[in-house]
Amino acid sequence: MGSRQITEKSLAMLRSLPRLSLGNIRDNPGSRKNIKRGRGQHGGDKHGAGNKGSGQRQNYMRLGYETGNNPFYLRMPHEHYYKGHHHRRQYPPISLLEIQKLIDTNRLDITKPIDIASIVRSGLYNFFPDQKHFGIHLTDEGMDIFSAKVNIEVQWASEQVIAAIEKNGGVITTAYYDPHSLILLKNPKSFFQTGQAIPRRMIPPPDVIEYYTSAEMRGYLADPEKISEERLRLSQKYGYQLPILESDKNYNMLCERKDPRQIFYGLEPGWVINLRDKCILKPKDEELLQFYAS
Amino acid sequence: MEWLSSTILKTFWRPTVNTIRTRYHADKTRLVRRYGYEEKIWSGGLMPRSEGRRLPIPEYRPLNPWTQRRALFGQNDYIDILGSGELHPIKTLYTVPSWIKGVSGHEYHILLRKKKMFARTGAPTIRPTKWKEYEKRLSFLYRKLNRKTKTGPSPC
Amino acid sequence: MSFSLINAIRKLNISTVSQIRLISSGSTDVSNINSHSNSDLNVTQKEWKFPPQFTKPREVWIENLDSIDEKKLGLFELHPLVYAVLPRIDIIHRNVIWQRKFRWVSWAHTKTRAEVHGGGRKPWPQKGLGRARHGSIRSPLWRGGGIVHGPRSGKTHFFMLPFHLRIHGLTSTLSAKFAQDDLHVVRNLELPTEDPEYLAELIEKRNWGPSVLIVDDNDYAPRNITVATENLPHVNIIPFYGLNVYSMLKHDTLIITQTAAERIEEKILQHLHSNTMPQQAKFKLNQV
Repeated sequence: MGSRQITEKSLAMLRSLPRLSLGNIRDNPGSRKNIKRGRGQHGGDKHGAGNKGSGQRQNYMRLGYETGNNPFYLRMPHEHYYKGHHHRRQYPPISLLEIQKLIDTNRLDITKPIDIASIVRSGLYNFFPDQKHFGIHLTDEGMDIFSAKVNIEVQWASEQVIAAIEKNGGVITTAYYDPHSLILLKNPKSFFQTGQAIPRRMIPPPDVIEYYTSAEMRGYLADPEKISEERLRLSQKYGYQLPILESDKNYNMLCERKDPRQIFYGLEPGWVINLRDKCILKPKDEELLQFYAS
Repeated sequence: MEWLSSTILKTFWRPTVNTIRTRYHADKTRLVRRYGYEEKIWSGGLMPRSEGRRLPIPEYRPLNPWTQRRALFGQNDYIDILGSGELHPIKTLYTVPSWIKGVSGHEYHILLRKKKMFARTGAPTIRPTKWKEYEKRLSFLYRKLNRKTKTGPSPC
Repeated sequence: MSFSLINAIRKLNISTVSQIRLISSGSTDVSNINSHSNSDLNVTQKEWKFPPQFTKPREVWIENLDSIDEKKLGLFELHPLVYAVLPRIDIIHRNVIWQRKFRWVSWAHTKTRAEVHGGGRKPWPQKGLGRARHGSIRSPLWRGGGIVHGPRSGKTHFFMLPFHLRIHGLTSTLSAKFAQDDLHVVRNLELPTEDPEYLAELIEKRNWGPSVLIVDDNDYAPRNITVATENLPHVNIIPFYGLNVYSMLKHDTLIITQTAAERIEEKILQHLHSNTMPQQAKFKLNQV
């Protein structure tokens, strides 16, 4: 942008210069290289294939091929370290430091519960549900300086992170979302424009049921009684005074949770959002109500 | 005696002396600098004329820069910034066919897209020759790009 | 700022300079303006959604169109982030190039030897005639043969200039126009007559360049001005969302209505102060 003095000076200069028009503008000198026209398709070069030999004739054997021998990479038995990696769930990380930064720069509103939708909306976190990304992994970087009181819902968190949030009087929940729900959470507007009813959130697959029902990990399917016990236990383990939730003035906000079948805060499965008329259509049919009931 | 014979020789025979001047320096042509401009345009009168009717001099028709199309060139190019944000500028290019609007790429990519979009219309049956030419060109380009060129950032 | 205003006033030869007290948005006494002789001068305090931070807002006269002689109807403040940014000529140039190129499709076409009609037969035997060997009468060596590396129809020059470069192009051009006194703000577009000569005379009298771009805030301009500009090809009206770098440079003078100036400012400031990740993302064909 240039400093203020430079701006003022150049605008003052423009006053005495001829009128800016299509005929007297140009790019910065040297910004474009003048391409010389050679002979042939690429100006007479080797078309990127190098000079002489296998490279130029493009007859390299494929990598690892040993002209008919049983190749080395097949001869040796080995354990596949990353076997099935593309089928495993991934949780793209975001750190407590980054969350604190988002809050400090007014990109996250802590007067409302924070979920993956609001973090994506801040514009500084991105994930791709179609690439086996299953939500946020909240990491412990910057946990010593984390000072916000939040009601946050993430998909994966460690013990220190839970302690860092609860120390400030906040609440954390780990919740599972199936890929389709995550697509909706990532871009709600494009889903609402399709005019479909909001679906139910699916239950977690068997291998993570244990994680999401455990009170230690603040799973969304865990018993609330056990969670409050664990909160106390964790505060004693890490040695901090646990702020009392009930006496907090934001108690209602901090207690807000999604239903295990619910995707968006405030919107229930089965509802249709009409963006054009700005209204919500709710199902009345008994069968539908039964279907969408959790 | 010696003295005498030399005197006699001197009196009777005198060698003819020719003074020779070498003309090397005199014949040198001096390097001429700044001799002026050599006219390259014919200035010796009229050019030779061809027989028969002369070709007409084309009428000078200056371009009107203020026709409606030229005067409003570029309107709506910033509609995604200044408008409501739902319309993209390439959606306002009404004169460009839809199969090429906002497309960039090598001839192969564009032709592939064209063929894909034309396949849904009646083009294959209505214009079979054209359709055959698309396929022929595509197969040629496919072989050329995959077998005779290196894969690079810009294969064009 | 005040320096340029004083300059502007000097240029305009206004006799009432001493009577009008110029105020910037910082000062609060608006009331004493009305006590002077020029009581119809309208100065309003602007409500900024994004207040200008390090630079003062630019002040501009609101002019009239209902008489040929110029009248000052009031003072108006323009945001320096839109109307007084560093005028980057190179960015303006890149914007113009983009505007020309992104719509440009070259339809020039030549046929290859495979597409030219005929040429399947060998024209004469390979040997024995004493002639050069040839396999097809459509070889590129032949007259009427195919063309090698010729233009192929449907070549595009499409690319998208990055979102913020386009915003900067708009603000740079607006700033340059404003700095060169080629941007005028008018209250509205009401003309007394629909005679094109009136408009032509007005433009001539006020020394606005021959070509004028009038920017309104909506699609429907008043009847008189639309009829008047109908026969003046170099005077054009566009809505504010049709504003673009090319047109601003093609026309000598830019006439913006007060509301259009505000709408342009509002839109650009909104983009400058919000999350534009989706707009900055790489262009994809299916996004439009």
